[in-house]
Amino acid sequence: MGLVARVVEQLGIPTVNVSTGRDITALVRPPRSLFINVPMGNTFGRPGDADGQRDTLRKALNFAETADEPGVLVDLPVAWDEPFEYFTGEATPEAIAKQKKK
Amino acid sequence: MEPIRYVDALNNKYGAMGFPAYKWSENETAPWTTLTKPLSECTVALLVSGGISHCTAPAFDPDARNDHRVDAVDPDEPTDGYQIHDSYYDHSDAGRDLNCIFPIDRLRELADAGEIGAVAARHWSGFMGRTYDRSRLTAESAPAFAENLKQDGVDLLIAVPA
Repeated sequence: MGLVARVVEQLGIPTVNVSTGRDITALVRPPRSLFINVPMGNTFGRPGDADGQRDTLRKALNFAETADEPGVLVDLPVAWDEPFEYFTGEATPEAIAKQKKK
Repeated sequence: MEPIRYVDALNNKYGAMGFPAYKWSENETAPWTTLTKPLSECTVALLVSGGISHCTAPAFDPDARNDHRVDAVDPDEPTDGYQIHDSYYDHSDAGRDLNCIFPIDRLRELADAGEIGAVAARHWSGFMGRTYDRSRLTAESAPAFAENLKQDGVDLLIAVPA
């Protein structure tokens, strides 16, 4: 995704990357990134929390106006109210077999 | 809480899947295009990479690799008409409220309130990741995607990786 943002920006359209994976974003270095330390899948918050979702989206939009350095990565001071871990589906035998064909 | 170290975790998972070693892109610099209009005059599009497709379209492959598919999303379609297939994040909340990761309704509200100029004619869902053939991505798929944005007069893209 960060690579796509870089190409889009290179071709003349500003981009804001709203990331939940800080280390990946720091490596790929999209033009402008906000890091939000919440579970991947909850970038804009909780289901049904329209106000919270809108607030985060508004911050991302405003960042397009305030960011002033290529590759900038800013940490949004957002806290998730419970611990969370790396999530991934299991590497099932079916998934592995399917991928090995590719 | 310290940020999760996804690079290490994903490298371990890819190894368990029998994938070749994944070399993450590392860039020291970044391209830059200055936003030349106030937000209140900008046409804004969303792009999400979380395996989200309309229920009338095929599902994404939840374990996709080198999948450059990107679907156009009608910004006026009800957000409860989508399916999510992606093995690499917990989309249970997004399954109940798509706006958790793809804030289509919230963007429309900001347009209605005049905070942005307009919602783009199309949003986008795709580019799922685990992209080993990155030269094709940067030389073909992403430029073709950018051309779609230009056709729609997009002034700003909000990109949401998942």
